[in-house]
Amino acid sequence: MAVTKTEIEKLAKLAKLSFSDDELERFTAEFDAIIEFADTINQSIEGGTEQIRSVGARMVSFEALRPDEVAPSLPNDKILSNVEGYNGFFSVERSKK
Amino acid sequence: MRTGIAELASKLRKREISAVELTKTYINNIEKLNPTLNAYVHLTFDIALKTAEQADQMLKEDDAPLLCGIPMALKDNICTDGLPTTCCSKILDGFKPYYDATVWEKLRAQGAILLGKTNMDEFAMGSTSETSCYGAPLNPINTAYVTGGSSGGSAAVVCADLAVYSLGSDTGGSIRQPASFCGVVGLKPTYGAVSRYGLIAYGSSLDQIGPLTTSVKDAAIVFDAIKGCDKRDQTSVDHDYGVSLAEYLDRDVKGMRIGVAEEFFDGINPEIKSQIMEAIALFEKNGAIIENIRLPALKIALPVYYIIACAEASSNLGRYDGIRYGHRASSYTSIEDMIVKTRSEGFGDEVKRRIMLGTYVLSSGYYDAYYKKACLIREEINREFDAVFEKCDVLIAPTAPNTAFPLNYKGASPVEIYLSDICTVPVNIAGIPAISIPCGEDSKGLPIGMQIIGRKFDEPTVLQMANFYEQNSGIKAGVYEGGARA
Repeated sequence: MAVTKTEIEKLAKLAKLSFSDDELERFTAEFDAIIEFADTINQSIEGGTEQIRSVGARMVSFEALRPDEVAPSLPNDKILSNVEGYNGFFSVERSKK
Repeated sequence: MRTGIAELASKLRKREISAVELTKTYINNIEKLNPTLNAYVHLTFDIALKTAEQADQMLKEDDAPLLCGIPMALKDNICTDGLPTTCCSKILDGFKPYYDATVWEKLRAQGAILLGKTNMDEFAMGSTSETSCYGAPLNPINTAYVTGGSSGGSAAVVCADLAVYSLGSDTGGSIRQPASFCGVVGLKPTYGAVSRYGLIAYGSSLDQIGPLTTSVKDAAIVFDAIKGCDKRDQTSVDHDYGVSLAEYLDRDVKGMRIGVAEEFFDGINPEIKSQIMEAIALFEKNGAIIENIRLPALKIALPVYYIIACAEASSNLGRYDGIRYGHRASSYTSIEDMIVKTRSEGFGDEVKRRIMLGTYVLSSGYYDAYYKKACLIREEINREFDAVFEKCDVLIAPTAPNTAFPLNYKGASPVEIYLSDICTVPVNIAGIPAISIPCGEDSKGLPIGMQIIGRKFDEPTVLQMANFYEQNSGIKAGVYEGGARA
């Protein structure tokens, strides 16, 4: 399959990324090869995949769930110590004039 | 061979050396070699020396832990309270976590001495550590070659004796492959054996923290110290190993059943294949039983891995928006524009490629064809491993199809680099443990790694088999000459 620049632009919007025209050109070509690689998931394997039955059954263990009890948390000032210019609010540049 | 952790611990207890003296030796070594090797990206010498003084006090007590006073390193994606943790990404530039990862909390409580944070592929996405925003670390065995990745710095610091041991993380081979390229030991534990709390997430159903060391015994000691259930990681498991791993190592291999699957050897460099076959012959000569087995689904394990890992990454990396921490774009026209510009400036190309692939396979119209199908095949791979482990105790395979790549190798496309993960990703898909141990070198003098893969929570057998090979093959970790312990 050939991925188009329009599709890449749509994906980039979903992923909250942007590309310059040059980057878009290069990225589209690379991404086409990556999708071709991902498509190899559809190649047949010995014994076939039709016997594949359940999805993700062993990935989630509900035994690990614990009671929903309030426990001490990290202090706000520590959690917010990496915020640029925090003074009770998350400050960003004014964007509506 | 280098002095192991147990021997260093004994010297510290007998006051043959103090923790402060040992730490200073490592600091001198790092100051001498790190400007060339670029293996550490953040150094924590002041804290290391203060901790060493405290360790010397702890060592006066009879019950001081084994790792007390031993200098070590952490991969730069393991959170350390108040110390830089950047995943070697511009987007986390200046980020200082406000809590310790569980593994570091455990080691710190035992008196471990942190020398610094190690270089890695940005967000652990890569196989050469060249996607780091700080530039690539160099392979101490031959500085014209890469360390492997993504835990390249963690492998290099152990190889060059810039730390006694280090921790890395392994999502698709990121501990084992650099261990193989740098000629050291790297253990990827069972998924759930070690808490991931405080490990900055890449592929959450695949990520696992583990040790890089110069011997199998050291790997057992460090794994023993970091394993265990943690209520802050719901995927961690309360498994009782019932044995002290380091004491389990000397068991005989007679009667042990070793599976050899041809799928692991497809397209492998012939020099590597020949070394692994020699190793298998050594086990057979000592009474192990070799079983030729098949794992047909491995043929499509690579796309399954990349689809699942990138899907999880695209979700996990959604949190980097420039609002609460890390890099933020300096000019923008709206909040949306700020987030897009921040992410586009902050992430490198490989991270963007993987976020885009993950977004693609999760998007409407493609979810069933890619993500859902990959999850189905993951189950099939699990079933194949389960069936194989009914008749085998361990599997033996190469760690990588090749030895270290030359630095700045421009001949490989992103997909060709992905293909080099073929031997390691099936282990993460199945959540089983595996170790990479040195297994000779190729004609260029570059280390070859052998992988020993076991059943879930059967690290004791994996370590026992690895220790047997290390003790009986005459092949030791390919350590850099002139290190702190030389």
